[in-house]
Amino acid sequence: MESYLNIANSSFIFKIGAVVVAFVFIQAIILLRAAWKEGLRIGIDKKVLWDTVKSSAVFSVVPSLPILISLIAMAPVLGVPFPWIRLSIIGSAPYELMSANIGAQSMGVSGLGGAGYTAEVFANSMWVMSVGIIWGLLICVLFLKKIQNKMGTLKQKDSAWTAILISALYFGMLSVFIGQPVVEGGVPLATTITGGAIMIGLTYLIKKYEIKWLNNFALAISMIGAMGLSIFYTNIM
Amino acid sequence: MAIKSKIAGSQYEDKIHKIGRTTGIIALILIFVVPALISIRYSIFPPISNLMIGMLTISMIQIPICIAEVLTYTPMLGSGGSYLAFVSGNLTNLKIPCAAMCMESAEVKPSSKEGDIISTISIAVSTLVTGTIIIIGVIAIVPLTPILSSPVIAPAFENILPALFGGLGAYWILKQWKLAVVPLSVTVIISMFVAVQPAVLIPICGAVSIGAARWMYKKGWVKEV
Repeated sequence: MESYLNIANSSFIFKIGAVVVAFVFIQAIILLRAAWKEGLRIGIDKKVLWDTVKSSAVFSVVPSLPILISLIAMAPVLGVPFPWIRLSIIGSAPYELMSANIGAQSMGVSGLGGAGYTAEVFANSMWVMSVGIIWGLLICVLFLKKIQNKMGTLKQKDSAWTAILISALYFGMLSVFIGQPVVEGGVPLATTITGGAIMIGLTYLIKKYEIKWLNNFALAISMIGAMGLSIFYTNIM
Repeated sequence: MAIKSKIAGSQYEDKIHKIGRTTGIIALILIFVVPALISIRYSIFPPISNLMIGMLTISMIQIPICIAEVLTYTPMLGSGGSYLAFVSGNLTNLKIPCAAMCMESAEVKPSSKEGDIISTISIAVSTLVTGTIIIIGVIAIVPLTPILSSPVIAPAFENILPALFGGLGAYWILKQWKLAVVPLSVTVIISMFVAVQPAVLIPICGAVSIGAARWMYKKGWVKEV
């Protein structure tokens, strides 16, 4: 029997990947165009729209690299094209590894790349990874309009509270990613503090010298600066 | 004029939901087409019972997490941004920080018309950039592997989330520290005793955070900024 890795790295799956990724790009471009046109129509300055594009593009480069690293990590077991597809449409590295493992275990194989990881097990991993990923999007397709209408009604009733409610949800997320390194200590904590310190420094500079353009890159700079210093911290701790 | 623009405004909302739903359904179909085509082309079909066990296990984990994710993130991302982010993924490490910072720089509020537009543009651009980088990575995987997996820079990537959220958190805590006190304390206390996945902890903290914010709002301690 053909080794499953020949299947997993076949040009056939690469071709499917190209179609899927093209679709994700098309969706982004359609919604980008619609939002851009509507933005101009309601009088948002073109410069503000372009600043958003620049700032998002610059910021997104570095957080994309860990996605590549996880692709490299999955490639020996799942091939290149299927993880590429999965990571391009909804997926994220921890989810893919967990679900691929569940796919293997439900076939009685100890885990990814374990003894007996055959083409059949690969197929099972693939199906499980695909089924598990649909739920967020499915809920959006079914209920997002309702949720957004509810938010609209809430806003009409008490707009100040709605703004605080959204901030509170956002702080819930921030707290998890700040609180965990605080408890962990060591390099993650030092990195968190560094990122915070650089950001505070930049915010001060932006306000004091009115360097507005820097606003668009402050988060990218503080993140990359703290990542760089984390290498230093790892070496001295 | 005002009425006319309001109608045109809700027309935009309707249009976004229409596009979002249509592309969302296509994306859902595509997700299933991929394993289906591969299974058929190479005639590899896992036994149905094993397949069902795997699908049930993953769905039982994912459904509650996804419900919480949609409720937590969509009010902030707005309609257009949400449809995009729930197709292209990587919400907490990419799309949400990106959209939040862009709305802040553009001085627009989440859950407003302007906020929705900025969020949609920012998430669309982020999706295109990430997609392009992954394509470059797939093409150049052989030369890139030693660079990206070099032990020298490994700590930088291991610490990308602390680096990102240090900056993001500092910015928002300085702005509205009162909202941070309770959820941050809850995270610290829980994490001292058990290691909880962020996906599980975020909805818990979100709920606690809303409760605390509501209480402070009623007391007049927090205001919209």
